[in-house]
Amino acid sequence: MSTVEETEVAAAILPDVEGGTARSRRRWAVPAALAALLLAGSGFRYLGAQLRDPAAMANRALVDTRATTEVTGDVSSALGKVFSYSPSDTTATAQAAAELLDGTAAAQYQALFGQLQQRVAEQKLTLSSRVVRAGVVELTVDRAQLLVFLDQTAQREGQAATTAAAQLSVTAQLRGGHWRITDLKAR
Amino acid sequence: MAVRRLQVPKNRWAAVTVGLVVLAAVFAVWSGWSWYRAAHDDSAAYARARDQVLAAGEQAVQNMNTLDHADLTHGLDLWEASTTGDLHTQLVQGRADFEKQVQQAQTVTTARVLSGAVTELDDRAGRASVMIALRISVQAPQSAPAAKESRMLGELTRTPDGWKLSALGQAPMGDSAAVSPQPSAQPSAGQ
Repeated sequence: MSTVEETEVAAAILPDVEGGTARSRRRWAVPAALAALLLAGSGFRYLGAQLRDPAAMANRALVDTRATTEVTGDVSSALGKVFSYSPSDTTATAQAAAELLDGTAAAQYQALFGQLQQRVAEQKLTLSSRVVRAGVVELTVDRAQLLVFLDQTAQREGQAATTAAAQLSVTAQLRGGHWRITDLKAR
Repeated sequence: MAVRRLQVPKNRWAAVTVGLVVLAAVFAVWSGWSWYRAAHDDSAAYARARDQVLAAGEQAVQNMNTLDHADLTHGLDLWEASTTGDLHTQLVQGRADFEKQVQQAQTVTTARVLSGAVTELDDRAGRASVMIALRISVQAPQSAPAAKESRMLGELTRTPDGWKLSALGQAPMGDSAAVSPQPSAQPSAGQ
């Protein structure tokens, strides 16, 4: 009981002792501190959000060196296999396509390869493809978008080879530890 | 009892006030810490640099493949503004001759970027490589406009004014894969 009385007494006396200015200063101290802290917190949040540009951070291309190298390697070797064939060995190409292509790319390729297989045999056509340069445009955990510069050399038996330049936009998905091509578009 | 009744709400207000200040302080410290982490997050800075390189590279390559014989000064100023290093020096040195060629040929060259990717980025050294697929159309007098797809490899160097092209060339067909420091737009624009 005595403590309550003491505080009450102090509270009753102190304002008179300290005077009006001290009391108003104390009244503003808490709101001012609150405002300052909230302002500082919001400011830091704003600056942090600006630095962590979500679009830039979501794209792991080049940032994740290992995944970038893997997807570039997998896609480059897949394109080399799938777009190379000789009259004697179209089955190897068909097999590679079945393993390395998926989704839209597999359907596109089936349509193309059906026609091609006949011509390859009739005209003794040899096609070889080589990736000149491949770059990752976008990369997430299991999906990638690449730009690939491809050289395609075609040769009919007994004739000079001709080389054509191709630019492809390739979509790939990670399945079972390997990147499979799911879409192909000529640019 | 009258004393007590006044006392309780006063203590409650004090507790609420202290609670609010503590919450605000925690918020300020937490957001300050997350800002500090973001500012020192190397991979975030690297991702930003990559996006800046691609944007600068695509714009510079488009600039270098755009030229109107009727607006040569502006076009070639843009070429010089997009480049640095050896490539820039070459452009400045060859400008007079090149202006004559284009004025005679009266060509209008325009380019559109189809797709682009950064293939290498050394953030510290300020060097990067890009590959860009382009569609270039050339309009010469008394002839139909010719369009062609072009694949280009460029090197960029960081300057105080941002990333600029220091080398540019067609991706070679065949065996060699080196980037030549030759300005690529010269042949196409000069045709």
